[in-house]
Amino acid sequence: MTRMRIVAAACWALLALIAAGPAAAQDKPPLIVGAIYVGSVNDYGYNRSMKDGLEEMKKNIPGLKLIEAENVPETAESERVMEGMIQQGAKLIFATSFGHQQFAFNLAKAHPDVYFEHAGGWMQAPNFGNFFGATQAAWYPMGVAAGKMTKTNTLGFVAGVPIGYVIGNINAFEMGARSVNPKAETRVVVTGGWSDKAKEATAAGALIDQGADVVTMHVDSPATVIQTAESRGKYSIGFQSVAAQALAPKYWITGLGFTWGPFMTETAKSVIAGTFKPAMVREGLGQGMMAVAPFGSEVPADVKSLVLAAADKVGKGFNPFTGPVTDNTGAVKIPAGESWGGDKMGNFDWYVEGVIGKAK
Amino acid sequence: MNVGLLVGVISSSILSGTSLLYATLGEVVGERAGIVNLGLEGIMLIGAASGFAAAALTGSPYLGIAAAALAGAAANLIFAYVVVSRHANQLAAGLSLMFFGIGMSALIGRPFVGSLITALPQLPLPGVAEDGLGARLLSYDVLVYLALPAAIATWWLIYRTRWGLGLRTVGESPAAAYAAGLQPQRLQYQALTFAGALGGIAGAHLSVALTHTWAEGMTAGRGFIAIALVIFAKWDPLWAVVGALLFGAAEGLQLQLQAAGADVSPFVMNMTPYLLTLAVLVLWGWSRQSAAPAALGRNFVGVE
Repeated sequence: MTRMRIVAAACWALLALIAAGPAAAQDKPPLIVGAIYVGSVNDYGYNRSMKDGLEEMKKNIPGLKLIEAENVPETAESERVMEGMIQQGAKLIFATSFGHQQFAFNLAKAHPDVYFEHAGGWMQAPNFGNFFGATQAAWYPMGVAAGKMTKTNTLGFVAGVPIGYVIGNINAFEMGARSVNPKAETRVVVTGGWSDKAKEATAAGALIDQGADVVTMHVDSPATVIQTAESRGKYSIGFQSVAAQALAPKYWITGLGFTWGPFMTETAKSVIAGTFKPAMVREGLGQGMMAVAPFGSEVPADVKSLVLAAADKVGKGFNPFTGPVTDNTGAVKIPAGESWGGDKMGNFDWYVEGVIGKAK
Repeated sequence: MNVGLLVGVISSSILSGTSLLYATLGEVVGERAGIVNLGLEGIMLIGAASGFAAAALTGSPYLGIAAAALAGAAANLIFAYVVVSRHANQLAAGLSLMFFGIGMSALIGRPFVGSLITALPQLPLPGVAEDGLGARLLSYDVLVYLALPAAIATWWLIYRTRWGLGLRTVGESPAAAYAAGLQPQRLQYQALTFAGALGGIAGAHLSVALTHTWAEGMTAGRGFIAIALVIFAKWDPLWAVVGALLFGAAEGLQLQLQAAGADVSPFVMNMTPYLLTLAVLVLWGWSRQSAAPAALGRNFVGVE
């Protein structure tokens, strides 16, 4: 039945293509955009969020043509892939993984008429900008959700590599949890890689063994951790893509995801209009670059409203890293009157009070 | 040490040791026939991808495991052709097989990334509660329950059957085996088919049972750990059980200790399983004459 449907759809698509072919050839697209992903766009994680953003951009700008390549490694291979896209007429390239930065930058120098946007980096040129979500403060409302839903007061966090930004996410998560549940503790397990699935499953299992009844993660794809929690009847909170709920029909609470669509649309429009300005863009819940995912069926209304209120507060500029903030050994790390934001987020090498674990 | 930690370590060492054990058993049989297969990592990846794909397509995790065994055996037959029939260097062919496996598994798995599969179901032992520590300790999937019998069966096959005697003879001296009327190359083909099937199952246990996920390169070096375990086990299937559990325990323990809040750097923690592997190899290495099959790694070019 489904196979018939696929064959039929393919036939229709072919017919449509033949019919539209000559017309499309005449209507030159307003812009050809190239995009490279480091993994598969079906990962329910980071790459999926990029794909969703680009699709939104495509929908917003009629006629725009999108050329994509998945599983592009963070090597010189990526330069060849992007070069190929430029040969096909791409005037705007989204290089969506951190390790693509240098290769995209090389091409930007060689092709001054092509515009580049890189996710997560810092390099700048007249035709090269970068963007990313301001994730740390945005984790605060996730902590609120976890702090309200836990019955054991134990939250579990599976972290890939404990760089400052990841530690910042964990810290804001715990601070959010403490804001509604002073007894909430976050236990952290580091797997040492962004995509070691077997270790992620074992790590999530270990956290649950230690009493965690809400599990979340910062790895490339949340799929393994969410499914491990679901199979053991524990709650999960997603990260990266807002679409991960399908992985946990029963115990999904909510998630924090990147919503790149508005930024990508504006960037494409600026290239079409010839007004592209490179910038280092870091935006969060308030600017629409991050969003709270839909809630799961087990989440009561009062928890939902608390989470949304916290997200709103963060969106309006609330910064959880406003002193005094103490680490989990009791030392004051951010003195009263000081606050950490922006680049400082990479500097975390300590966990806030309430996080069980060692950061370095 | 709290009870949760103990139960967790035991349970997770059994869970992550299972995949290692199947892979190690396969490699033991292959090496007993005199063939070292460094491509085990690639075989496991092909098994993980095919098993996940078949489980996604058919809705049955059991068919997924069967497909993984077939795919692993088929891929190892290519290797067998190259080293047994074409007499290629085993180390070079093995490494090529690994890279082939990485690429092939990516190709097989790509359409299925993000697919939701029915995982290999947990089958609790009779009388075990559905939740809590008991369930964690005494409820596993069928591949876990079959792992120990598989090790015993492999041991029996190697040491108690005529086929096993032939296999060992080939591993020690293919020429002598040939002189005794055996067909060394045929036995090597059979051994590598068996090894490939077990390697495929080992990979599928990771994707279909443990993680419910396919991701490129998800075996993360476990194929090589299994090769090290063969040496640790002195080519004995029963010692392989000990080795697999030990490595599984080391990995499980470091993750459990992190979750329990041990005051140790996570960077150090993540090294411990590999340090343990090294330490064990060093300690076992000096103590006695090598138990390795005498003709291991050498090709039998036959008496044509």
